[in-house]
Amino acid sequence: MKFLLRRIGFYLIAAWASVTLAFIIPRLMPGDPAQAMFARFKRKLEPEAMDALREAFGFTDAPLWQQYFTYLQHVASGDLGISISYYPASVGSVISTALVWTLFLAGVSVVISFAIGTWLGILTAWNRNGWLDKIAPPILVFLGAFPYFWLAMLFLFLFGFVLGWFPVRHAFSPDLEPGLNLAFMWSVTTHAFLPAGTIVLATLGGWLLSMRNTMIGVLDEDYTLLARAKGLSERRIMFNYAARNALLPNVTGFGMALGFVVSGSLLTEIVFSYPGQGYLLIQAVRSLDYPLIQGLFLTITLAVLGANLLVDIVYVWLDPRARRG
Amino acid sequence: MPRILRTLTLGLFLASCAGESGKVEPGVLVVNEAEQTAAFIQNFNPFFEFGDVRWPARHSMYEPMMIYNVMTGDYVPWLATNYTWSEDNRTLRFAIRDGVKWSDGRAFSADDVLWTFEMMESNKALDLRGLGEFLAEVTEPEPGVVEFSLHRPYVPALEYIAQQPIVPRHVWKDVADPVSFANETPVATGPFTEVLKFQTQSYKIGRNPHYWKGKPGVEALRFLAFPGNEQANMALVTGDVDWAADFVPAIDRIFVGRNPEDHHYWFPLVDGTVFLFANTAVPPYDDPGVRKALSMAIDRELVVKVGMHDYTRPADATGLSDAYARFRSAKAVEAGTWVDHDVAAANAMLDEAGFPRNEEGIRFDFEIVVPSGFSDWMRAAQVMCHGFREIGVDAKVKTYDFNTWYEKVQNGEFQVSLGWSEVHESPYGLYRGLMSTKTVAAIGETGVENWHRYGNPRADRLLATLSRTRDDELTREIVYQLQDLFVEEAPAIPLFPGPSWGEFNTRQFTGFPTAENPYAPLTPNWAPQTLLVLTELAPKSSAEGVSAKR
Repeated sequence: MKFLLRRIGFYLIAAWASVTLAFIIPRLMPGDPAQAMFARFKRKLEPEAMDALREAFGFTDAPLWQQYFTYLQHVASGDLGISISYYPASVGSVISTALVWTLFLAGVSVVISFAIGTWLGILTAWNRNGWLDKIAPPILVFLGAFPYFWLAMLFLFLFGFVLGWFPVRHAFSPDLEPGLNLAFMWSVTTHAFLPAGTIVLATLGGWLLSMRNTMIGVLDEDYTLLARAKGLSERRIMFNYAARNALLPNVTGFGMALGFVVSGSLLTEIVFSYPGQGYLLIQAVRSLDYPLIQGLFLTITLAVLGANLLVDIVYVWLDPRARRG
Repeated sequence: MPRILRTLTLGLFLASCAGESGKVEPGVLVVNEAEQTAAFIQNFNPFFEFGDVRWPARHSMYEPMMIYNVMTGDYVPWLATNYTWSEDNRTLRFAIRDGVKWSDGRAFSADDVLWTFEMMESNKALDLRGLGEFLAEVTEPEPGVVEFSLHRPYVPALEYIAQQPIVPRHVWKDVADPVSFANETPVATGPFTEVLKFQTQSYKIGRNPHYWKGKPGVEALRFLAFPGNEQANMALVTGDVDWAADFVPAIDRIFVGRNPEDHHYWFPLVDGTVFLFANTAVPPYDDPGVRKALSMAIDRELVVKVGMHDYTRPADATGLSDAYARFRSAKAVEAGTWVDHDVAAANAMLDEAGFPRNEEGIRFDFEIVVPSGFSDWMRAAQVMCHGFREIGVDAKVKTYDFNTWYEKVQNGEFQVSLGWSEVHESPYGLYRGLMSTKTVAAIGETGVENWHRYGNPRADRLLATLSRTRDDELTREIVYQLQDLFVEEAPAIPLFPGPSWGEFNTRQFTGFPTAENPYAPLTPNWAPQTLLVLTELAPKSSAEGVSAKR
């Protein structure tokens, strides 16, 4: 319990630091937002309109500390401000349009990739030099070493464009109404197949290798030998003794990956025109949309911290040493 | 393992029924929004041109009094039936059209026009085109007539006043803050006003039930979100988009070749000329001779071929694109020999101007700044650098992120840059941005136009006269003189007239403008000229088309 309390205290401090950083970093970027706005509609605006724009967005010259306190106040009340590039939509509403899809796509693919990769790691370590151990690691590492962009484009071109098996863009077909019906869920599944599939393929190798390597070490430990000597079943040794102990590094990695899910998968989103946080972040940076950048940074850091807290809790359950520590 | 494989194959097989490329939605025209975005936010406020206002607001919903058609050079009467200038060019009158209805069935009247301009006056942020600078008062001197009084005689005002989208008073009077009003359920006079469906990545706009020009031939417009050019191009090629303004390389093979019957494009050279801007506030570019020598070192044929896929042609020395074709002076074009590729002459000019080569053969060096991602400009700049090296000028291409680049050019913190130019009704706006002392900002200060910081009092006088006259003869005479001045001084170096991109698919609808029938520009990006196209489209005759199966 003490361990958890200490961790929670640490996360609170980390959260404050990230809130402050989210305030400072966008202000260090070059460029002026009103000018950036002109840029988006390059030849359509007149010089006189510049003043009009500044007025609309209330770009004040208030001192930095004043801006900081107003910012803290707003964050505390959950008000992330108004987006510049999506004016007059609020940052909260803009993020929420993308967050669901990001959580779905990246979340599902991380979980699938982690589950399959870890499982394969256990199997390959257990049957070292078996047929699976000879095939799976090299192939998956090879796929993982591909530039992801290229892999995604290849899949899009082959299975979407040439063969036409899967839809090439968006999260569901435009003529459907989102809802809990079979047609919609089917559409979502087929649309997610290529994006999620490429993410899983590209990340599988990492999970497999780290699980396999730790597991091999654990299999040489004395306690595994003792379990064998006691005559425990192979299954029990494999899962309760070897895998459970070897899982810890992978769980840490899983927590990190879950946290970063919220930041979206930029390349996937661009190649498959999938809605999500990653593209939103790029767009926000390009148009110097400070409020949106801040909002996104904040959700990402909070998600990373939250996921890490979750991992800490899982650790306590998996590893008795943590309970005492 | 085999079981997993079997499930996988089954999944693939089932999913194969899901491919939906090229699926036709009967009666629906799929338009590519200019804005590239992964997510749409519902916003139909026609006073916004920035941010995420959706395409239909200005292109199919809110209509202006008149539409300037760049292909014909005429004003097309729209919500007004005609306009008249006063003798002294200080008041402008519009006769408002009878029988126009808003999409909620209420009648449109001169009162709505008054309201629109009043609202812009009291909310400066809505006045994107800066009308307040010359507009003094808007009144209704007699029923059905709206009169605009100007601070001074100013003929270019017509372009801005006539094309302002008009909004209904009975809706907007209840809007607390029009500047932050997202207008999610618009009431407008245009052909497509009804929001039928709005989702993050796609939306659909239906016909206005009360449209004054009669029922449009298209039943609804559909928009899809694309995060980048590649995705938009793919949708165009696979037939998922009917009307677009994409840059497609090798378009004859990639797009037309896939379906020569229905896939068409037309790139008239009516966008602004693309220039090479040398910063005239920085020596040696303050010397017209140096600017001309640089210009003569450029092989424009090669620039157009490598950079622009031969979609355009080398520019002449007047800087006018085909949007101003009727103003082009043959004499000025003839005199502008400094756009001809002539390395020997350029070398001689630099020798004479006092820029000797050092022992490495270099006279001076500079960087051409280009925004990253503008691949056509980047290739063009690289071709030019080869030419500059031949005249002993060590030029390098340097790319910056768009925002940084834009800040540099606007603040005059560059030596040489590529850049676009404006398209207006008359060359007034173009030459004002290229040569007027009024548009010159100091280095370090933001200049939205005239990045090259060239001002000429002679140009000021000509421009002032031009802004006060409606006389065709005098206008032409002054525009000719401006061209002569431009050719003499070479304030900026014209490269090529900009193509106005436009592609369309005729599988469901016909009536798009083409080179054979150039009734309007084809691009879906130019509001309000898109109204000219949207009201002209018709379903393919039922004998041959998809519409028969409806």
